[in-house]
Amino acid sequence: MDKADLGSAKARLVEIYHPIKRMQYSYSFVVLLFGVAAFAGLFGALLGVGGGIFLVPAMVLALHLPMKIAVAASVVSVIATSNAGGSSYVDQRITNLRLGMFLEVFTTVGALSGSALALYLHDWVMQLIFAVMLGYMAYAAFSTRNLDDQRIASGGFAKAKADRFARWLKLRGDYYDDAAKKEVQYVVNGVPLGAAIAYLAGIASGLLGVGGGVLKVSAMNRYMNVPMKAAVGTSKLMIGVTAAVSSILFFLAGLIHFTIVGPVAVGTTAGATAGTFVMNRLHSAWLKSLFSILMLYLAYEMLAKGLDLGFHLHLPAFA
Amino acid sequence: MSNEEDSSGQSTADNSGQLNVYADVYKVLLGGMMVSTALFAAAIVRALLQPQFVPLTPEWIKQHYHWRVIAEGLLAFDPTVIMLIATVLLILTPIARVVVSAYAFAVDDDRKFLFVTLSVLAVIMLTAVLGLFGLK
Repeated sequence: MDKADLGSAKARLVEIYHPIKRMQYSYSFVVLLFGVAAFAGLFGALLGVGGGIFLVPAMVLALHLPMKIAVAASVVSVIATSNAGGSSYVDQRITNLRLGMFLEVFTTVGALSGSALALYLHDWVMQLIFAVMLGYMAYAAFSTRNLDDQRIASGGFAKAKADRFARWLKLRGDYYDDAAKKEVQYVVNGVPLGAAIAYLAGIASGLLGVGGGVLKVSAMNRYMNVPMKAAVGTSKLMIGVTAAVSSILFFLAGLIHFTIVGPVAVGTTAGATAGTFVMNRLHSAWLKSLFSILMLYLAYEMLAKGLDLGFHLHLPAFA
Repeated sequence: MSNEEDSSGQSTADNSGQLNVYADVYKVLLGGMMVSTALFAAAIVRALLQPQFVPLTPEWIKQHYHWRVIAEGLLAFDPTVIMLIATVLLILTPIARVVVSAYAFAVDDDRKFLFVTLSVLAVIMLTAVLGLFGLK
């Protein structure tokens, strides 16, 4: 390899691993941001997550934006997707407003803790934490892919026993499931554990720029006896408030770049709006399987970047 | 308002109150989404008419945090200022949703959830105060 090749290779490494200091606001940049955000919004609406899990890696790895700018833009986009998806699920009565409002107390406190941590941690630490979280998301999505349909068919959601907190707060709910063609009633239990996980989800939101939606959906669905679709609708509404709390801190720190947030917010709104029209008509098993594969890939990418920046360890690349 | 219980143990007063909250929350979310999206879309089109390099530093972003800059940007239809306003509207929408929910719970005399909702608002306000006075 001659000197020119070495220079070219070094420039390529700089391009891959070092964020840009300024960007050209071009058609291609806006279209790319919009496309990634629309994809994130669509899947976010289908799975009750904010979409930051797609957006942050795409902005950092493909567009070379600084990690903290990407995280802040992603947090604001979570509000956009929550407004779009949340309004539709509220209109369809899939959302459990009382449960969502109760868990919001814990997620907002968690988001406050997480945002404070994000302002002091190095980028590579955030990337490694993100990688671990993505790995957990993949496992959670894959291991629960068939659970909901079985419990709806057996009426298991309505037969469970509500705990005293759920009875006192009147947290039960119901919705019409378009895929199962039946009214699904459910009682809520496991409130203390659900509240604890909601707090952790809030920390994830503030720390990593994700809505913490996967943790909330998992908590409601696996530990609180809430059907998947009701959990998705409720999580979709909740993540907006959690992200708003984080956004205030990012805004005051000067990390919310408005010209990046614009295409991201419009894209996630468009994607989330489309996603809410189809979510209630789908069985979730195949979507969750696809989701888990994507999560594993993104987890690997983030892990590789974090290890390289923090410890100079190089993992093999896919491409 | 009647307070009879239906077969699931939920009173008709509860059902009616929940419908009010659902309707109010829906209106706030839809309104916030439509206004902020329209502003973002207009500003993006404006920005693309004159593409330029934009710095990615917090210092550059904070230059826009002044009423004078915002007023001048509005008059000139500066896309960055329009997107700043849209971003603030977007951030405020879920908070407005919580405020409206608190009002609806108060109207329905649902004291437990009025307390829960006000607790969420208190944490949001605490966050803003901490951000202004040191948590940076």
